[in-house]
Amino acid sequence: MVEIQVHEDGCRGCRMCVDICPTTVFEYDEEKRICVVRHQEDCIACLSCAYLCPSGALAHANFHTVKNFYRDLAFCEKMERFL
Amino acid sequence: MTELAATRASLQETMSFLGAIASGIEEAIGESANGISYLAGKRLGMKLSEKVEKTDDLLQALESVRRVLQENSCLWHFEPFQMHDRPEMIELTESGEEVNLVFRDCMIRQSLFRFGHQQKGSLCNMMFGFFAGALLNIMGRDSVLEIRHAGENACYKRLLIQKAGTKEVA
Ligand code: SF4
Ligand code: SF4
Repeated sequence: MVEIQVHEDGCRGCRMCVDICPTTVFEYDEEKRICVVRHQEDCIACLSCAYLCPSGALAHANFHTVKNFYRDLAFCEKMERFL
Repeated sequence: MTELAATRASLQETMSFLGAIASGIEEAIGESANGISYLAGKRLGMKLSEKVEKTDDLLQALESVRRVLQENSCLWHFEPFQMHDRPEMIELTESGEEVNLVFRDCMIRQSLFRFGHQQKGSLCNMMFGFFAGALLNIMGRDSVLEIRHAGENACYKRLLIQKAGTKEVA
C-alpha cells in the first residue's frame, strides 16, 4: 500500500491537496490548520498532491513509478558504463 | 540496444510524434479532434479483440481487455479500483454498471508529458474509443470511459457499461 507522509511543520494549510485528490485521501484539520491523511488505503499514487503542494510537504513511498521513456532506457544503458 | 528495446524505442518515438500531431489537430479543428481519435481507438479496440471470448461479466471482460493490450505491447496498464466506502467493485446504477479504473503506465500520458502537451485531449479520447470498441465486441454493449482525474503518475477513470437501450454521452 502507498504510504503518505505530511511534514506538519511545512504544511501551510492551503488545502490544495484536499481539493486535487481524486479519492479524497486528505481531510483538513480545523484545529491544527493543516491537512491530515484520512484514507491512505485509497491513494492511487497519481502524485498530483505532491506536485501541487506549494510547501513540498508531502512525500509518498511504496508506489509504482510509471515507466520512463525508452529513449531514456538506451541512455541509461550508456550511463551504466560509467557507474 | 536489444531488438525489443529498439522496437520499443521506435514505438515511443511514434507515440511522441502522435502526441505532437494530436496537439496540432486540436488547435486546428478544435473539438472534432476528439471524435476522430475516438473512432480510431474504437476501430483498433474492435480489431484487436475480434477473437476474444464473449462474456457478460464486466471484471472478466476487463481482464480480457488487459490481456489484449498486453499481447499487443500496448503500454496501457490499468486495474479496477474500489474505494474504502464503496460496498462493491461494480456499482449498479440507473444507466448501467459502473467501475472505477486506475491507469498507471500509459504510453499516451508519457508521450504528452514529453513535450508538455495537455492531458484529457484527443489522444486520451483514443483510449476511450479503444475500450468502447473492445467492450462492444466482448460484452455486446456500449460504454463510456470518463476521465475523473488525470495525474502525473496515474489517472483515475470511471467506466460505465450502458444498459441496453440507454445512451450516456461522455
Ligand atoms: S497542499 Fe501542502 S501545504 Fe497545502 S494543505 Fe496540502 S500538505 Fe499542506
Ligand atoms: S497521490 Fe493522488 S490519490 Fe494519492 S493522496 Fe495524492 S492526490 Fe490523492
